[in-house]
Amino acid sequence: MQHMVEAPANNEVLENLRLELRRGCLILAVLAELRSERYGYTLRKALAQQGLEIDEGTLYPLLRRLESQGLLASEWREEDKRNKRFYRLSADGKLILKQLSAEWKSINASLNEIL
Amino acid sequence: MKGVFLEHIMELIDRYLQAVKFSLPRAQRDDIIKELRDSILSQIEEKEAALGRQLTKDEQVELLKKLGSPMHLASRYGKQQHVIGATMFPIYWRVLKAALGLAFLVQAGASIAMAAAGKPFIQSLSPLLHYPSVALSVFGWVTVVFAAMDFFGAKIQVSDRWDPRKLPPLVKSDPRKSRFELIARLVIQIIFGVWWLAGLHYQYLIFGPGIALLKFGPVWHSIYPVFVVIVLVDVMFTAVMIARPHWIQGRHVALLVMSALGLVVLYFLINAPEVFVASDPSALQSQELVKSINYGIHIGLMIAAIVNVINIGKEAMRLIGWSFGRASQASVGS
Repeated sequence: MQHMVEAPANNEVLENLRLELRRGCLILAVLAELRSERYGYTLRKALAQQGLEIDEGTLYPLLRRLESQGLLASEWREEDKRNKRFYRLSADGKLILKQLSAEWKSINASLNEIL
Repeated sequence: MKGVFLEHIMELIDRYLQAVKFSLPRAQRDDIIKELRDSILSQIEEKEAALGRQLTKDEQVELLKKLGSPMHLASRYGKQQHVIGATMFPIYWRVLKAALGLAFLVQAGASIAMAAAGKPFIQSLSPLLHYPSVALSVFGWVTVVFAAMDFFGAKIQVSDRWDPRKLPPLVKSDPRKSRFELIARLVIQIIFGVWWLAGLHYQYLIFGPGIALLKFGPVWHSIYPVFVVIVLVDVMFTAVMIARPHWIQGRHVALLVMSALGLVVLYFLINAPEVFVASDPSALQSQELVKSINYGIHIGLMIAAIVNVINIGKEAMRLIGWSFGRASQASVGS
């Protein structure tokens, strides 16, 4: 007998799974974008322009977490008469990005086969 | 005109950031706020450049709403809380601290009341000694209730209901610090109030061994209800200030009311024939001494009354000035 799932519950499950799927992808995208130095706002715009929308409440805490893990380095600098915090990939970050990219390509290739 | 408009935008953003800051981890607070402020201003600048005009108040409100409620945004910077979700955790944390503080006040109040009623010291101390077990029970219940609310999805939908226009006004001092100071003041006020009201009946609590020499004159008992009102009003004002730390003018209202009540007390004491009386009316020497003390006290009371009248005048002027300022702001804003 086929099990029927109610629509609201189904939507919630889908949303949770979607968020889970996005979380790892966003980290990879942020690390890749920060191969060149950017501050939060321009990083967010750059990601959005490539179809990856990310809200401030997700991006800024993520940047801090990645920095505390030693994958990013940051410094406050003045630009356009305002102080901005510029982020860039650290040496450890570059290494991790390389390894994660390889992992991503492998998963992607497998998934393409499976799906 | 442009200056006034820009000031309004900045005030709304600052009020939003102030509310976010309130729930952020202390060590990173200033840094996070600086970064968020830059991000918000960059967005506004870009939108205004695209539109070729300044954003309207409603558009600013929409922009802030997109960022999420201050508590929700701040919770994203916190560590993962497993029993209670990140959004609910700051509310849980505040309720827990308030409940533990309240439990302490109740236990301390019970101890003081027992001591004032003349119970033995050790027996009076027992409610305070039971505080750790009471605190553990409070912690357990608050945690269970919040964990259940989180688990069953009965979360407070702050993100849907919040409105940037209703955010509290800017305050110069750190609200957390002033709240801590207010709680400390409340504790002191309650302890002092209970001691004073009990001391008027059991005068040994106030005079100590000096009770052998002098005691309160009959006037103190006549104005006892005024002291009860003073203690209750004082405690009530501080409790209100803890609940509403941003109610700046409340401090002036409290000072005004307390000064006025103080003036009532001073009026009765100044007009009383004897503020203090000798404990032993037959001892001539102590009667002379009490007479001298009353004379000194009378001069002191007169000075206190003058200072009180000046204070009442100052606080009344401040309140009138504040009301005038609000009225002017409203007319500028309209």
